[in-house]
Amino acid sequence: MSLLPFLIVSIISTGAALGLRGRPALATLVGLAGLVVTLLAALAIRPGERLVIGGAAVATTEFMRLFLVLCSTCGIGLALLGAAAGTRRDAPAVMLGTLATAGLALSLPDARVAVLAATAGGLIGVLVTLTPGAARVGATVGIREVRAVIIAGSLALAAAAWIQRPLDDLVVQPQVFGLAYLAFAIAIAVRFGVIPFHFWAARLADAAPEVTIPVVTAWGPAALAVVGLAWIDQLVAPILPEVGPERAVLIGVGIATIVLATFAAWIQDDLEHVLGYSIMGDAGVIVLGLAALGTEAWTPVRVWILAFVVARSAFAAWCAAMRATFWTGRLDDLQGWARHSPPLVVALVLVIIGSIGLPGFAAWDARVSIVNQLFGGPLTVLMLLALLGPIAYYARLLMIGVRRPLGGTAAEHWRPRWPAVDLTRARTSAETVVRVNRGASTALLALLLAALAVGTSAGLFGVPEAAAGVAPGLQGESQIEPPSP
Amino acid sequence: MNPAIGAVAVGVLVGAVIAVSVRDGRIAVVGLLTMLVFSPIVTDPIGTPLALAARLAGGVLAAYLLWIAVRGGGMTSGSRIGWPAEALLALGAFVVGLGTHGLGATALGPVEAQAAGFALAALCVVPVATGRDVLRIGIGLFVLLQAALLVRVGLDGNPSELEQLVTAGLIAALGGSVAALAYAARSDGPGGFDLASEPRPRLRRPQDARRDAPRPAEAALITDR
Repeated sequence: MSLLPFLIVSIISTGAALGLRGRPALATLVGLAGLVVTLLAALAIRPGERLVIGGAAVATTEFMRLFLVLCSTCGIGLALLGAAAGTRRDAPAVMLGTLATAGLALSLPDARVAVLAATAGGLIGVLVTLTPGAARVGATVGIREVRAVIIAGSLALAAAAWIQRPLDDLVVQPQVFGLAYLAFAIAIAVRFGVIPFHFWAARLADAAPEVTIPVVTAWGPAALAVVGLAWIDQLVAPILPEVGPERAVLIGVGIATIVLATFAAWIQDDLEHVLGYSIMGDAGVIVLGLAALGTEAWTPVRVWILAFVVARSAFAAWCAAMRATFWTGRLDDLQGWARHSPPLVVALVLVIIGSIGLPGFAAWDARVSIVNQLFGGPLTVLMLLALLGPIAYYARLLMIGVRRPLGGTAAEHWRPRWPAVDLTRARTSAETVVRVNRGASTALLALLLAALAVGTSAGLFGVPEAAAGVAPGLQGESQIEPPSP
Repeated sequence: MNPAIGAVAVGVLVGAVIAVSVRDGRIAVVGLLTMLVFSPIVTDPIGTPLALAARLAGGVLAAYLLWIAVRGGGMTSGSRIGWPAEALLALGAFVVGLGTHGLGATALGPVEAQAAGFALAALCVVPVATGRDVLRIGIGLFVLLQAALLVRVGLDGNPSELEQLVTAGLIAALGGSVAALAYAARSDGPGGFDLASEPRPRLRRPQDARRDAPRPAEAALITDR
């Protein structure tokens, strides 16, 4: 089965990178090589395969393949940026571990097993909180993340187990299905750290490097969201098209997150927190998507999930490039950044287009579709306006960039430079070339990931087709058609 | 109710009560190990040898990783109401679990599993919600995860071998995560496993990017591990 090489490579690479963490340069090299091989293995996955291992089915889908390919590509870019910016050594290992567990979770038709795999992936992310020189603060941030991951996993497992058996003699069907549905959706909300479950996610930006924030708060939770969406679509939606109070709760959580997280991102004073809250705000759309029961929500939510993980990774890449170029992430110290580095301006504009989208883009249409399914009349217009809220914090970043720079700057040059190379000292010369091109190389990487985000948002790479595909295990079978609400 | 499975379920509860009650980190880990070793046996029929071996290996590995973090000593805050009160709480929840087997429909698993799951869920609330040190919160999370796994067995019956394998990996990963965090907290000056005090000034992020590439603090940390 073509998924097995991917799992084997990613798991072995994770172990190797973690085992070598005492030698940071080697661990980073192994992690980067592992990510490249993982990308190749993801590209080699053939959709539509099915295998029974240990009494449980494992199946591949086009969506899973695309998710893994996009995340692996983003992972290579982020790991390179992390290496250039001096980010802590565990970042590639955490990316590999998250990819491995996401691949497993997305290939398991049984939600009870998939939830366990997605939860294990969340635990690997805790390594990025171990802050050198501030171990206790890092441990505090980390244990709160573990708490959120385990609470979410336990809630989702209990919900999945509750209604995944013959329930012919169940007396109070609507209530049981409604509670199970709410529990699973809340579990996904907790994993994303959306408001009001955001305390741990907000603090994560205190300790984790920017390149790892989307891995922990977007990639892993997105895999759980895809599992949850398939579970809802197969088990809840066909039986219970109307779950009023439960949907109201989720809609409330989604709206509160979109509005408040956008505002929070707007008022932050450093890039990492802007990034953290921006991920939170976009995750609110996924929570709204979970509230939209029915087959009409299936494709838009999955399109948005793909656009979301790539766009947030691209924004993280831009933040890392900013830090690598200007030696700071504090917005007060970044005045005039746009005057100094035009490629980073282009990258940010592409990130804005990729994350918000343009009319006609797949991601734009997906968000409009989700909102249209949930609201009607003037409320639809208000929600669509709220979804444009991220423009506020992006505009603030651009305005800071065009202000007059503070006196004196240690910023790296954005143009590539080629210092004299001494062939008798090849290693020293290579290090010099890398060092003097830090600004140029990180800006280029940020540009590439931003372009990938625009492509994904526009629906290239077969995003709409992959998102419209059936869940694992349903190939060859007709998808369950729930009664229309 | 099967007396043999009931006895194993009691073993699970004893381990969990010890883990959440005591103040000595090492004894807490021993209690946790007891819970993790007995939990996979609360099934009817008992799982396949491969599944059982995977779960036992995962549990022992998790406990060993935690042991590495606590073997040098270190106290957790433990229960403020004492082990008898915790045991009574668990007993009450156990009875509730017995009385609600299936949660509204016919269950496929043993009643003891759901009862033990309910008892563990009741035990984990206080450590998870109000724990003020890494080890206590971590132990509470182990108990919570085990509660969900037992309720799942009680409702849906025996998990497949693959599910047991993934579960073992999850338990080992949780052990590794909590151990790494506990070790990090304990190695950061006096204060043992305590969380950083709050309110506190926001952590000034270390400069990830700086001209002086090697950072002494991180280099020192590497040699520790």
